[in-house]
Amino acid sequence: MIDYTSASIDFALLGPEIALLASAFLILVTGYVKSLGKLSPGVAFVGLVIALVLSLNQWGNQSSGFFGMVTCDDFGSAFKVIFTLIAILTLLMAHRYLSHKSLNRPEFYALLNISTMGMMVMANSTDLVVMFLGLEIMSLPLYVMAGMARRSPESNEAGIKYFVMGAFASAFLLMGIAFVYGASGTTDLRRLVTDYHYIVGNFKLYLYSGVAMILVGFGFKVGAVPFHSWIPDVYEGAPTPVTAFFSVGPKAAGFAVLLRLFVFGFAYIGLLSDVFWVLAALTMTVGNIMALRQNNIKRMLAYSSIAHAGYILIAFAVGGDSAVSAAMFYLVAYALFNTGAFAVLVLLETRTGCKSDFSELSGFSRLHPYLSSVLALFMFALCGFPPTVGFFGKFYLFSAAIQSGFIWLVVIGVMNSFVSVYYYLRVIKVSFFDQPQQTFVPVTYSPAIIVVLLITLAGTLGLGLFPQQLLDISQSAIFAFL
Amino acid sequence: MTEYLYLIPILPLVGFLINGLLIGRIPRPVITLIGCGSVALSLALSLSLFFELKALPADSRMIEQVLFTWIVSGNFHVSMGFLLDPLSAVMILVVTGVGFLIHVYSVGYMHKDPGYGRYFTYLNLFTFSMLTLVLADNFLLMFVGWEGVGLCSYLLIGFWYHKKSAADAGKKAFIVNRIGDFGFLIGMFIVFWQVGSLNFVDINAMAPAAFIAGGSLITITCLLLFVGATGKSAQIPLFVWLPDAMEGPTPVSALIHAATMVTAGVYMIVRSNVLYMMSPDALFVVAVVGALTAIFAATIGLAQNDIKRVLAYSTVSQLGYMFLACGVAAFTAGIFHLMTHAFFKALLFLASGSVLHAMSDEKDIRKMGGLKKYIPITYWTFLIGTLAITGIPGLSGFFSKDEILWKAFSSDYGHPVFWVLGFVTAGLTAFYMFRLVYLTFHGPERMDDETKSHLHESPKSMTVPLIILAALAIAGGWVGMPHILGATNYFEHWLEPVMASGRNAVDTHALMSTSSNAGMEWSLMVASVGLVLISIFVARMFYNKKPELATAWQKKMSGLHKLLLNKYYIDEIYGAVIVRPTVYFSLFLWKVVDVVLIDGLINGVAVVYNDLSESLRQVQTGRVRTYATWFAVGVVVLIAVFMRG
Amino acid sequence: MSLDLAIFVISALVAVFGATMMIFQRNPVASVLYLILSLVGQAVLYVQLGAAFVGAVLIIVYSGAILVLFLFVIMMLNLRSSADLGEPSPPVSRFVKYFVSCLIFLELSFIIRESLGAGSTTSAGIVTMADDSFGSVESVATLLFTRYLYPFELTSVLLLSAIVGAVIIARRATEDELPPQPEKAVGPISQKTNEGQE
Repeated sequence: MIDYTSASIDFALLGPEIALLASAFLILVTGYVKSLGKLSPGVAFVGLVIALVLSLNQWGNQSSGFFGMVTCDDFGSAFKVIFTLIAILTLLMAHRYLSHKSLNRPEFYALLNISTMGMMVMANSTDLVVMFLGLEIMSLPLYVMAGMARRSPESNEAGIKYFVMGAFASAFLLMGIAFVYGASGTTDLRRLVTDYHYIVGNFKLYLYSGVAMILVGFGFKVGAVPFHSWIPDVYEGAPTPVTAFFSVGPKAAGFAVLLRLFVFGFAYIGLLSDVFWVLAALTMTVGNIMALRQNNIKRMLAYSSIAHAGYILIAFAVGGDSAVSAAMFYLVAYALFNTGAFAVLVLLETRTGCKSDFSELSGFSRLHPYLSSVLALFMFALCGFPPTVGFFGKFYLFSAAIQSGFIWLVVIGVMNSFVSVYYYLRVIKVSFFDQPQQTFVPVTYSPAIIVVLLITLAGTLGLGLFPQQLLDISQSAIFAFL
Repeated sequence: MTEYLYLIPILPLVGFLINGLLIGRIPRPVITLIGCGSVALSLALSLSLFFELKALPADSRMIEQVLFTWIVSGNFHVSMGFLLDPLSAVMILVVTGVGFLIHVYSVGYMHKDPGYGRYFTYLNLFTFSMLTLVLADNFLLMFVGWEGVGLCSYLLIGFWYHKKSAADAGKKAFIVNRIGDFGFLIGMFIVFWQVGSLNFVDINAMAPAAFIAGGSLITITCLLLFVGATGKSAQIPLFVWLPDAMEGPTPVSALIHAATMVTAGVYMIVRSNVLYMMSPDALFVVAVVGALTAIFAATIGLAQNDIKRVLAYSTVSQLGYMFLACGVAAFTAGIFHLMTHAFFKALLFLASGSVLHAMSDEKDIRKMGGLKKYIPITYWTFLIGTLAITGIPGLSGFFSKDEILWKAFSSDYGHPVFWVLGFVTAGLTAFYMFRLVYLTFHGPERMDDETKSHLHESPKSMTVPLIILAALAIAGGWVGMPHILGATNYFEHWLEPVMASGRNAVDTHALMSTSSNAGMEWSLMVASVGLVLISIFVARMFYNKKPELATAWQKKMSGLHKLLLNKYYIDEIYGAVIVRPTVYFSLFLWKVVDVVLIDGLINGVAVVYNDLSESLRQVQTGRVRTYATWFAVGVVVLIAVFMRG
Repeated sequence: MSLDLAIFVISALVAVFGATMMIFQRNPVASVLYLILSLVGQAVLYVQLGAAFVGAVLIIVYSGAILVLFLFVIMMLNLRSSADLGEPSPPVSRFVKYFVSCLIFLELSFIIRESLGAGSTTSAGIVTMADDSFGSVESVATLLFTRYLYPFELTSVLLLSAIVGAVIIARRATEDELPPQPEKAVGPISQKTNEGQE
């Protein structure tokens, strides 16, 4: 048995987290001096870049510390890189938007970094308590960020709803952890794996119901049906860059923990495959059907994010290396093109009075042929068309599922992606084929948002043409697991 | 030269990138040069590679160029590579050849359009995607091209987006095609699951071992792939999008919706002929669907008055022939007809575009007539195309159609009923095509004076492609003459290496035993030619003679009305007994089966989804209490499930 | 009935009663007071288990500090009347909510009952049984600063972010945020047909 309870208090393991926390402190301390407060986006950016570098450095490092509370492995490092990249993209697109909406306060950047740190804690944890704390550190800033635009009732509503529902979910999660602890006397995932014969033999019911409630708690974060209902309201109400962050960051973190818990930790519960089968089918179907009738693009993307969570949940039903690496691949792909789509919306909304309704896009290509082509490309990626990375994401997932014999789940998945074409296509149809209904105010670009668009565009197309690198990384990440 | 194979698709891609990125910044002559020039270079390269391939010995005619390894994941290995074999060589020649002519034609046709640059951008993107589709050495890359052509088709159908019908038609095409893609994808997954590779060469080699011949899995796989083909190639029941697709510019209809993209389904089936040969049941379904589509679309074609719609239904019908050929395992005949059809149908569409050009975009043939003397080049080329499609001996359509009919009758997978369906379709085809010719080019001039004053022959850039295509429509079939005429069927020999593996897969006696029954073949050929001639005659009676008599009757109503009435009576009986039921039946098929049943079904699915979406929206009340309730329900169920487990 | 058992039953009942009443109050001030009652009951249970320190902390920190703070906030916000809580749900949906909640309660009680029956003797055996110092200040501190150091520090980050968030939400509006638009603040965004908001 490996020595997983290494007592070493090795702060090197926490490098990225410390970098983020330090930058957040710095922002909070200096933020109230007006001249220094202007620097806070820069400070946050530097913090994130340092965290990114440190996370990259951790690749290949396989160790554990703090009495087993911190587990540093490639799986976690890979996710940390994903989180920092998402946060950097969010930061780049948020700055001008927030200034435009008079929301540009230093605390926002501090909260963004703290939230990202929470995600990192989640990704590097193999202990249920730490997972829970990471989840809360991630979530609390999110609640505040959703409700930041205090002048907008929608934003207030988003913040409150997210908070109330989040607290509700956390209650179940905590109860689940308590049950699992009650059954096993430990919160360490590795002990739960090694001792499972004993636990299942004596406290099966206790353990299982605890696991069910843990699943509820994290299912809420990733937006699995029926724990999804907060998503549309929160996504629509929150400031758009924040929504972009919501739809990929916490979701990736939630899936990181879910992967650890359910594909590796509790994998011995045979029932899980069937449960995830149903969850995946429900989630993608409900998400897609609901998205059909939306008139607001943000809301449509909210439902689409539910649907995409459903596709990723297929990997949980399937299990095994290829499915997990496919899920990781899909998360990265989704983060890229979804962030890209939101970046276009952010650009649109910097025009006064725009709320990202479909009608505001009509005839958009006449004024902005490049921008609307880019938006169309992101929509195609969301549909899963080749040669975008969206296609390969689905392709890996579905072929992994087929190889394990989950034909019907794949049939449901493919049918769902067929349905999804309808509403993604609507964006393209409206912007390319409809007559302009109002005179357009041209969009003004900022360098930062152009960088975001270029990165997401390059990723969406580049990884669609050359997906091998990313696939290799996601595969080697899971080999070094636990 | 073979190392430059990848340039064939890449050249149009470069054209697309240049035209697309510099849209609105470069003058039209440059757009034209880049748009047409890139395809011309592809064509030249294709020709030289074709001859290079031809110089090789027959059994080594296969060049696979792997550009790079696309994906490796465990046992999953897909390369980005191109495969040039006799089959794809034919296809790239058709795509670049016909494609180039249509590009040139478009220069004249679109010269006034404000979206000129956009048009050529899309067209080059299409050519790139189509070449990727046919040159792909594996299913995955083929699917990439498959989606690409679908996207271009969508963009080009909706090219004139200010017309609502155009945008709607584009959407319809796109969505119907997704149903097809669904089948394609699942089929592809199963092939990969069983064979462990998506490479065509590997599949040909390993499929016989991986699947049980005649088993249900191979049949399901083939049928799923066939669903993909029915979507792309507009077969029952997914053909509804093609007639609507005529909203796009006419050269687009010629290129995408007649010559190339819609034949992708046929190509795909021929490409996977090894799989199909292992499943006689799937072949039977393909043949039935093909034959039914052929006759069904032909009858609908009888009643249409829009010149492009007639041609559209005719395309559906001819595609049905190709599937019929595939279904009776006469893959060579299917590809042969694909090629000749590309020539004469592109010709017909382009000529009809020339008619529309002259007629100020009036599409209703009831408002045409007597155009022969105004636009003679268009008339003669259209007539050649018509003669070719009806199967007049000596022209290309005759050889390919005759081969299909004979194989439908004589092949081991064939049946006389298939032949009868194809035979009747041939008669109907001749009838509606000549109806079109007579109403458009002959008889009284029914257009208004305004239009009449503008009647003019099209510019050189349009007529020259017409003339070249007319030459191809005549001579294109000479490479595949039947044995009984004493000629050598070069085409069959050329494709032989591609088909051999399919036949080996089933390991039976010689399936294509065509030698024994020369007398039968002769009599069937004569019968079909006879039927075609009779149909042409009937069309002439009805659409050329009768209107003249009718006019005369009106003038001399007082004097000779009794005699004329008698004559008219004969016409009436004739009409009532033969034509009118056919017309009504075709109207019935069109109005009831097509519009109500099939459109209704597709719309119905949409309505159900929308209703479902609407009722689910009621659940999304915006109240946290309601959300929490659903949440709690989820918790109850989940815990209950885990408690039981 | 021994004295221990009597104390246990009484304090457990008080805790459960307090918690239940807290949920059913429409007046938030009363809710908080019931919560304090419930915490006092729980504190007694901890003391009875030998964890005097935890019990004391529960009283001092929660009842003493946090909940008093709650009271201040609620009273300052002037949330006294039940009207501020929005309209009650229609009877049918209220029934559904009660029903579902009862189902969860039944499930949980079933699980606990069954598990008590199954593992009657000890816990899973992974945890070493409590020694004398269990629950003492010293043992809690030892655990906090060794094995649970990392979660303990994380908690401080959590509290920090909560404070920052509270400051953002509660701070006075800056000039550019004024004036608010009260007339738009009615009705949820998601469903225009529904009136009222929670």
